[in-house]
Amino acid sequence: MKLKRQGDAREFEVELLAQNKPDTGDPSGPRRVRIMIDGREVAATIAAMPDGSAMVELGGRRVRVAGARRGSSITVAAGPFAAEFVAVEGRAAHRTGGLAAPEVDAPMPGKVLKVLVAEGQPVEHGDPLIVLEAMKMETTLYAESPAIVAKICVAAGQMVDHGARLIELSPAAVPAKPPESPPQAG
Amino acid sequence: MKHGSISKLLVANRGEIALRIIRSARLLGLATVAVYSEADADATHVAAADEARLIGPPEASQSYLNIAAIIEAARATGADAIHPGYGFLSERPEFARAVAAAGIVFVGPPAEVMAALGDKVAARRLAAGAGVPVVPGLETVEERAAHEFAARVGFPLMVKAAAGGGGRGMRLVEAQAGLAEALAAAAREAKAAFGDGRVFLEKYLAHPRHVEVQILADQHGAVVALGERDCSIQRRHQKIIEESPAPGLDDALRARMVEAALKVARAAGYRNAGTMEFLVEGGEVYFLEANTRLQVEHPVTEMRFGCDLVAEQLRVAMGARVAEPAAPRGAAIECRIYAEDAEHNFRPATGEVHYLNLPAGPGVRVDTHLAPGARVSAFYDGLLAKLVCWGADREQVRVRMAAALGEFSLLGVTNTAAFLRDVMASEAFRDARLSTRFLEQFFPRWSPGEDALESLLAAAAMAAGGALGSARLAPPGSSWARGALSDGARTGRGRRSPWTELAGFEPWGREER
Repeated sequence: MKLKRQGDAREFEVELLAQNKPDTGDPSGPRRVRIMIDGREVAATIAAMPDGSAMVELGGRRVRVAGARRGSSITVAAGPFAAEFVAVEGRAAHRTGGLAAPEVDAPMPGKVLKVLVAEGQPVEHGDPLIVLEAMKMETTLYAESPAIVAKICVAAGQMVDHGARLIELSPAAVPAKPPESPPQAG
Repeated sequence: MKHGSISKLLVANRGEIALRIIRSARLLGLATVAVYSEADADATHVAAADEARLIGPPEASQSYLNIAAIIEAARATGADAIHPGYGFLSERPEFARAVAAAGIVFVGPPAEVMAALGDKVAARRLAAGAGVPVVPGLETVEERAAHEFAARVGFPLMVKAAAGGGGRGMRLVEAQAGLAEALAAAAREAKAAFGDGRVFLEKYLAHPRHVEVQILADQHGAVVALGERDCSIQRRHQKIIEESPAPGLDDALRARMVEAALKVARAAGYRNAGTMEFLVEGGEVYFLEANTRLQVEHPVTEMRFGCDLVAEQLRVAMGARVAEPAAPRGAAIECRIYAEDAEHNFRPATGEVHYLNLPAGPGVRVDTHLAPGARVSAFYDGLLAKLVCWGADREQVRVRMAAALGEFSLLGVTNTAAFLRDVMASEAFRDARLSTRFLEQFFPRWSPGEDALESLLAAAAMAAGGALGSARLAPPGSSWARGALSDGARTGRGRRSPWTELAGFEPWGREER
């Protein structure tokens, strides 16, 4: 699967290749896995911890890992490092409906200053949709492709968290139902 | 301030400092009252106190900054003392005045001392009058005088608001051409922000260190100093790493600085805990400003002196005398972990704690209000946790801090722990090349190294492929699926049970034992 890290322009290709059963008979014992990262194969050992995290051995490093998923978004912590990834393939699937992204989410926490569109309104690529204010700076979010505004989820003056759904879009022309399939890997 | 005992303390704050204060109050046998906004109904400080009162909606201006609501909460619960913590109302003379007028003990200096030291121009005059050097400066908005001053001390200059603080109301002037404009603009800004348009000019030091002295003064005229803290490493004029002793500081200079801090405190008639801040450059010490409250970084001093500054504050407020402190031992460092994105100019982040692992070990202390399920909102300051380490010397504490930051793990809120770990591991920090420009000089940009990125990508592949963790329920109230759970499992956000609160408390309690 192709992943994009929040705030990073690069795309990464990762895949969980194989997952061995635990070496011991204990079903919660350590498991060996092979992972493909940008064409390079890496071996790792995963030992589940009772607190929901896992101790992962990877390239000679031992690191505590925790992860959570929501829709096409994956957030992980590896030791003190943390990152949010978005599966790009999920977006590609939506592109069949002519949409770059079916929803507009808040890129940072802040306040909704203005909503510039109305539900049912057609928009073109580059049309301004919404203006946010964070850290005393205004940020305008634009349509990434022609679309119709299906739903407006916020109102001007409202405080929103990072990742909050702001606007939902539907395909502009031929109504093609966007496949509602979350990314699957492995 | 009245003498005598206190039996019930209201803590007019939230987050880690509210927990910190409640803990010391309990050690002294005081009952405790927490106050909270609608956004903090589930917060750990509410569960930790004996009683809690709702004081208003999430906006700080209507809750934690609402003087009338806080005093009403004290009246309703029978609290006979109020500790303001730091931030919020802690340095507002009108709050100290209102508390005293209500017949309640304010744990801090008297309102008039706070007012005198809170005005930067007045504080400069007071220090200079006590024979303490200040940064060469001029109180004026008059252009001609400003140009004469500039000709004498040279550019760059800093225009500051008399009523400013926390890095606000400051303007750098690089050359003659920008001076008049900067004076006018700063005055306008200061008028708008603080209702007070007075500004002053100061010589801009190129690579100063920010060093401060901890003061404790009683109601009987005794003032003692508890060593210094170097707080040079800052972003947006706000500290993120503090340490004591200030490395490489000449003993004679340190002694002069401590003497200067005591002089300012005595001249101001200071009482309770406070901090005198100085800039140090080229073997010179200049008084910068006074902080008339408990500092965020006070644990650095506690680690070296083996003391409890909050308990000392409470004792002083009850009329106790301060004693000369014992000699400090070893070295201590504090790292502040903020809900910020160090990769993107420290922009603020919010979220919910899905997973949390706190460090422990010899000489490691964690002050935090975080617990699994806790929400970090945009309403308040983004300080998540303070990691404080002690060691026999600077190198031991530096290594301990790097290891402790490596153990810290938080899923759900973007934070600065990994960045701080890299700073601790850097040559620049190891060699103590400290100045207030440390970050722009040595860390102008930062992103996770290749190893870290590989670990994160592997973790993402595992999470996506269902290879992580055992099948566990998401924490109550969480809107995220954790570990190997299916997508989009949303559970309703109900009120958590008291047992969940207690579980969240445990890592912190364990640390203290």
